[in-house]
Formats: sequence, C-alpha cells, structure tokens
Amino acid sequence: MIRLAFIVLLLSALIVSGCKAKAPSKGESKLMSGMKHKVLIGNKKLKNPLPATPQTVAEGKAAFSHYCVACHGLDGQNTGVPFADRMAPPVPSLASAEVQEYTDGQLKSVIDDGVWPSGMPASRGMLSDEEVWSIVMFIRHLPKAGSLGEPEMYSH
Amino acid sequence: MRVISAWKIVFSVVCACGLGLQLSGSPAAEPRRVEISAKRFSFDPGTITLKKGELVVLVLKSSDVPHGIRVRELGLDMKAPKGGSAEVRFTPDKTGDFVGHCSVFCGAGHGSMTIAFHVVN
Repeated sequence: MIRLAFIVLLLSALIVSGCKAKAPSKGESKLMSGMKHKVLIGNKKLKNPLPATPQTVAEGKAAFSHYCVACHGLDGQNTGVPFADRMAPPVPSLASAEVQEYTDGQLKSVIDDGVWPSGMPASRGMLSDEEVWSIVMFIRHLPKAGSLGEPEMYSH
Repeated sequence: MRVISAWKIVFSVVCACGLGLQLSGSPAAEPRRVEISAKRFSFDPGTITLKKGELVVLVLKSSDVPHGIRVRELGLDMKAPKGGSAEVRFTPDKTGDFVGHCSVFCGAGHGSMTIAFHVVN
C-alpha cells in the first residue's frame, strides 16, 4: 500500500514537473526546428498569389495588427510583448532566420493551422485566405525592430 | 400686323414652356441602390448580381460591430462603422463571379464572412 502511494506520488511529481513551462535546451530546439521545417509544417510549394506591392504589405500590416500583435508585437519582433521569452518555446522573432527560412506556403500553413508543440494557435476561419497571404507578405517585409512602438494593450 | 405679333408672342411662350418642360422632365436617371446588411458573420443578401458598366450605389449597413467589403479584383473597398452605414458609387468593369470578404476584423468568424458578386453583361 505504501509502495503504491509512493509510485503515485512519484508519477504525480513527474507529471507536474513535466508540465512546467521552461525554455527548451539547445538540442531540443534544434531537433524541433528540423522537424517543423521538414516534416510537421506542410504546403512547402504553395506560392503567395498576392502581388508584392506596398499596398499588399500595408494590408498585411493591418491584418497582423488585428490578430498577431498580442504575441508578436507590432513589428513582428516581439517588441513590448512582456511574456515573449517566457513561453516554452519562446515566441520567435519573425525576422529570424528560423522563421524566414520557411517558404511562403509554410508560413501560411503556420498561420492557418498553428504550430504544435508551441503556443502558436490556428487562425483558420478567423482570417480570410487573402488576409493570411497579406500577413505572409508583411512578414517578408518587416519594419525595423522597435520602429512601430509596442502594442497599446501593454502600455497601460 | 397686330395679329401676327400676337401669334409670335404665343408661339414664343409655347416654345419656351415646351423647352422648360423638356429640361425639367428629363433628369439623369438615378443609379440603382443595392442595400447590403452586415452582422457577425454574414452579409444579407449573400449574393448580388450587377451589370458590367452599370453604375450602382452600394449601401452597407452594419447592425453590430464595424464591417467592410473588399473585392480586390473589382477594386471595391468600403467600410461601415459600428451600427451605421456607408455608401459608395460603384461600376463593375469586368464580368465574372467574385468573392468579397469582410475587411474589418469582427471576431472569431471573420474569416468566413463573405459575399458573392455576380457581374454579367
């Protein structure tokens, strides 16, 4: 009976410690990055149907500001997001090579379906295809980090 | 001589009145008004048929939050404020079936809020 209680206690401790949000190790990050780029995130060959014009970038920036700024900041580089580096894994800068190495189709897939395992949620149904593609265009033309200030929600 | 002058006056008055009637009786035809109601997360009607080259006035009325309609291929972009309305004069310049989307983020179903424009010759 005591042995059973001990095992239950040990398992509970393991589960609780396993659920704790902590930064992944370098090895875990490298492994997951490879998995995401090569296996988990599809639509590699999909092309952005929108023209690469300043207007499309501006539309993308507007759509981004409705849905993405809470976690990614106005500039897509986490400026002013207080919890960005406390998530597990941390919210990546969208200007980083890690993100920019995705194809346009993969970026759309990430926005549509989210990323597992991470805090990136799926937006399918919340944004139209056109808006998602315009966001992809904005991600390819991000402004200088910090140039847009921080999201209003974190200024109060 | 007096009779001729009188006839001239009558003739002039009749001509002037006729011209006046003609001018006031043929105002430019008002363009057709198409009213569209918007509420989370649908437009009513959901499909609108227009004629290529025919000027219409699109009236977008929102009964809740701000909404908009954007049809990139037709160059149509309009927004209505919360509980208010907006009008645009619009002439479709190509035929076909086009899908417009709500252009103002309005909540969880925003991405599926669409309206179809059927433009015919």
